[in-house]
Amino acid sequence: MAGQTDMELIKNGIRMDGRKPDELREVKIVAGVLDNADGSCYLEWGNNKVYAGVFGPMECHPRHKQKADRAIVQARYTMAPFSVNDRKRPGLDRRSTEISYIVSQAFEKVVMVEDFPKASIRVDMQVVEAHAGTRCAALTAASVALADAGIPMRDMIPSCAAGKVNDVVVLDLNKEEDNYGQADLPLAIIPSTGEVVLLQLDGHLTPDEFEQAMDLATSGCMELYKKMRHALENSYGGKA
Amino acid sequence: MSNDSVSNLMKGHMESLAKEGKRADGRGINEYRKVKIEIGMISTAEGSAMVHLGKTKVLCGIKMLIGTPYGDSPGSGTMTTSTELAPLADQSFDPGPPREQSIELSRVVDRGIRESRMIDFDGLCIEHGVKVWMVYIDLHILDNNGNLFDCCTLAAAAALSNATIPNIQHGIADKDVKLPINCWPISCTFGKLGDSVILDATSDEESVMSARFTVAHDENGNLRAAQKGMNGSFTDAEIREAVKTARASDNVLREALKGIQE
Amino acid sequence: MSEESSVTSNRKLVLPGDLMETKSKPGKGIFRSEGRIHSSVVGYSNDKSGYINVNAIAGRYSPKVGDKIIAICVETGPSIWRMDIGASFNSTLHHSESSWKVPFGDTARFLAIGDAIWAEIFMVDAAGTHQISLKKDDCRKLYSGTIVKVNPTNVTRVIGMQGSMISLIRDNTKTRIQIGQNGYVWIDGEGKDIALAQEAIETIDREATSEGLTKKIEKLLEK
Repeated sequence: MAGQTDMELIKNGIRMDGRKPDELREVKIVAGVLDNADGSCYLEWGNNKVYAGVFGPMECHPRHKQKADRAIVQARYTMAPFSVNDRKRPGLDRRSTEISYIVSQAFEKVVMVEDFPKASIRVDMQVVEAHAGTRCAALTAASVALADAGIPMRDMIPSCAAGKVNDVVVLDLNKEEDNYGQADLPLAIIPSTGEVVLLQLDGHLTPDEFEQAMDLATSGCMELYKKMRHALENSYGGKA
Repeated sequence: MSNDSVSNLMKGHMESLAKEGKRADGRGINEYRKVKIEIGMISTAEGSAMVHLGKTKVLCGIKMLIGTPYGDSPGSGTMTTSTELAPLADQSFDPGPPREQSIELSRVVDRGIRESRMIDFDGLCIEHGVKVWMVYIDLHILDNNGNLFDCCTLAAAAALSNATIPNIQHGIADKDVKLPINCWPISCTFGKLGDSVILDATSDEESVMSARFTVAHDENGNLRAAQKGMNGSFTDAEIREAVKTARASDNVLREALKGIQE
Repeated sequence: MSEESSVTSNRKLVLPGDLMETKSKPGKGIFRSEGRIHSSVVGYSNDKSGYINVNAIAGRYSPKVGDKIIAICVETGPSIWRMDIGASFNSTLHHSESSWKVPFGDTARFLAIGDAIWAEIFMVDAAGTHQISLKKDDCRKLYSGTIVKVNPTNVTRVIGMQGSMISLIRDNTKTRIQIGQNGYVWIDGEGKDIALAQEAIETIDREATSEGLTKKIEKLLEK
């Protein structure tokens, strides 16, 4: 977060990309796009483009990572070298490693890991184009891929960020707002219970603004959850 | 569904079909699967393409940066090819740093593009000995159902043909121009299945074949790169025959590439 | 009404976390939370004879005692074989559960890596490990033909109502076919007949949820 900026990111209640403060970018979700993976999903969120694929449950390698009484979720988030304006070096950097780790833990809360002792569930998220909000996009896509793989779960987890630009709390920051805004708060929740399974924050928020941002991000998550359901209904040709 | 185990029955069946010139998916032994090319879907890349070869899916993005030329070629731009065997593409792709498999794949694709002089490297010089364009070809394997070699070469060629030199962004000139393309290399990969040689193997076929042979031709029918892989072998006659077959069979891929130019 | 549409219209698609309105006891594909029953998978709910089940429409094979399956050998030990059955974990075939007298250390002579068998699941424990047996009914090693893998959740589709689909394929291709509950299918016959049967089975697997499948397969088999 760059903090204070002279840049006018919001004018007469309308953002640079024409959205209202509480409006999401356009989201498109398609389940079952890959043949090899047990479950998969392609998601476009604004200009973000993400593929998620799931394998498992399967024998956990390396063996020392096995848990005798449950499965582990091995999530991996990576960005393609061409996904950003300056070419990104291939492979995992510290940021990707952290995101992979917290996403794995978020999923271990909802996946019925106790049903699969010693197993591993591999969740791979590939960001092929990035314009802010990719961790939320990746986590949402991964949730749909897990459902598509037939992995038993207590719920699917949608994820969405709220933030602050020009002292206004807004939903779902775009690239400019992320670069020049004042705060970013990615959130992931369990829709049926409202429990929070992922939360990060960087920037500056007053206690009131934090409450507002939580409300906005939660409503964003619920909107995404509907889109996730539609994607699976379309894929399986039925109405839930 | 992905499962690594291959039954000996499946192997025997595929070998006996190949002997009669047939395949388990109904193709002839020198026939490509359906190919589809899409371009320009990644706005952060200078060029991009997605190639579907049967169920195999490869996404290629081109990035162009400014760097210094190599000492032995001060007037030429450079090119780097990398492939990411994304773990979502195949259960057997381990997360982690690139393995031999991915490095061989990158290098074979790289040679086909480089040796054909598809890109005019001298045209990528900005300031002799000081500043040149560096072209990065990044291949992202999204779904592996066999024959990554041909699918990657095709994706790289399609993405390069779609690439724009980002002059404005780097303050080199006030206009972005298309990356000039000299010719069109196409690679054809064969597999030795029992005593037969088949073109464009699926992963089922790859798991039972003993040797692999890739040959890249330019559009004039001249050879530009080749590679024999895996621990089996081909006879001299099989290699010569494969080179001839490649020239006759690569038209489907050339047509698909031409299709995106229109 | 066609066979397909009568199957689809009675089903209701549910997603993980969905609350199930029911007084029945929990069966499979569901979980309880605060006294209420929810679906844990994507699937079709089924509330019959006092139990509520959700039949998953995706996922790996989950072994059940008594299931007839096809297994492929992936590893041999001194007195056991490790067999791939398409489940999360490989299964074990102990030499005492085979029909052969196997000298210690000589397992590969009877069943080598890549060899396939028609077998039965005879033990599944709470930790999820399972064993198979070759001693039941028509269990045996498979010597000819080929093996095709389909999604285990589509096995009932490949078999069809009272075996209608599979009879259709068998009769029209003059092949022998055995369908393992794990989604591994054995087809034996002439090379070209096997290829046609394989194409039909793979089409069913790919288009399992679409309507008018029987007609489509009939047409495909006319070739």
